[in-house]
Amino acid sequence: MQTNSSRRVIGYYGFPLRSALGGVRDRFGRDLPLVDLDVAAGAPDAGLLPPATCRIIANVVDNAVHLGPRLAAVVAAVGEDKCDRGRHAAWILRELGVIVIESRFHEEAFEDRPLLYSTGRGPLAGRVEAIMATVVDPALPGDPPEPCLPTHGFWGVPPNDMRILDLFPPTTHLYGWVRCVEAGRPADLDLECFVDEGVPTVFFHQAFCAKQDLAHRLAEKHGGIAVDCHGEINDSILAKVEAFIRLS
Amino acid sequence: MLIADCGSTWSKILETDTDAIEIIQTRELIRREGIRFEIATGHSAKSRCRIYRNELIALAEGSLALVADGDFSVVDVGGRDVKFVRFAGRRVNRLDWNLACGSSTGATIELLGHYYEVEFDRLAPSERWINVTCGVFGMEKVLELVSTGTPPEEAVAMFLHGMVRNVFDFSGRPGRLYLSGGFCENDCFLQTMGNYCTVTPLGRTVPLEGLRR
Repeated sequence: MQTNSSRRVIGYYGFPLRSALGGVRDRFGRDLPLVDLDVAAGAPDAGLLPPATCRIIANVVDNAVHLGPRLAAVVAAVGEDKCDRGRHAAWILRELGVIVIESRFHEEAFEDRPLLYSTGRGPLAGRVEAIMATVVDPALPGDPPEPCLPTHGFWGVPPNDMRILDLFPPTTHLYGWVRCVEAGRPADLDLECFVDEGVPTVFFHQAFCAKQDLAHRLAEKHGGIAVDCHGEINDSILAKVEAFIRLS
Repeated sequence: MLIADCGSTWSKILETDTDAIEIIQTRELIRREGIRFEIATGHSAKSRCRIYRNELIALAEGSLALVADGDFSVVDVGGRDVKFVRFAGRRVNRLDWNLACGSSTGATIELLGHYYEVEFDRLAPSERWINVTCGVFGMEKVLELVSTGTPPEEAVAMFLHGMVRNVFDFSGRPGRLYLSGGFCENDCFLQTMGNYCTVTPLGRTVPLEGLRR
């Protein structure tokens, strides 16, 4: 996030409908940069949410408040493709005077895009970032990663602290909501709960996120481990993931 | 070659050429300036070794070296953390590491034992327990029990029982549990745990066995 600039921006969070993002860009200016408010960008705590809340939603609110008048509008994912707290964040931002355009990614809008990054070889963090960039620019890459068989799996959302992804080998496949984003189906629960049988998988969720229900069930079902993290990762989390990858 | 498991409160050092094991308090290790290990694990090891090994990996590999079962669970109750690994077919099936929570760690019980001058090898298990949701709150309950007439030994045994329940839950309530760490030498802990599952103590050097592999 370009916090030292005075340039106006359009914020968004989750995976809004492409039509919603396009409509806001038409309205406020195609030249305005789009900023993913989910991402930890060093914004100070706005003090608007209790401490025991999802760090991603706290990022959304903190980033929006920090951007202040630079924020032309926010395109907010508030449907099943995000969560109740995403809906609540939209309400809070509107209370603060932010122009909020709500988006609900219904099944009729689902796409069926190829899973190039989810099933390709390469550094995991880079592939997650490439997938999340398709929310704004859905053009298929000219040089997609080479497909590979999975030796390990990472299931979940983009972590608040992406350093955890550095522990995984390049042959790690992506599952969960990240895969849903690449497929263009962010509310597809069946796809979100799919993992390849026999692939040692880390089921990651942010602390205080409802996706922990899925992570724990899936970890039990598939013999993986459920790992949660609130803010920054700590030695315990790193050790668990490192040990699981090494020993499984 | 010197290898070591340097925990927060106790350090275990193995000379692999002679198999000589030295167990010292970590505060003494800190005073040994210049001591270096070839391979080490534990909270206090990172700046004292050439190769640092993840504690969970050391525990897992050490228990695989010591236990012949295909499916088993091992828990290491340390000074200020608890580590757990479950194997299915000798492959890791689940693992967890509870860091810096005094509700199920050795340092808390050591503090209580020292304060009330309790000898753990003579301490009788208690059928009653304190809910040790938090180590500090649990200690406060011990103080309260003692101040209202419960003998200190009984109060500490109740705390230990609460801790055992936490460790048992943390380990997924297995029918049989292999135990690693200093509590292998605490009869009260072993007898109390024995009321919940079959417990087999592996001793204090399981991670060292993992480092040696």
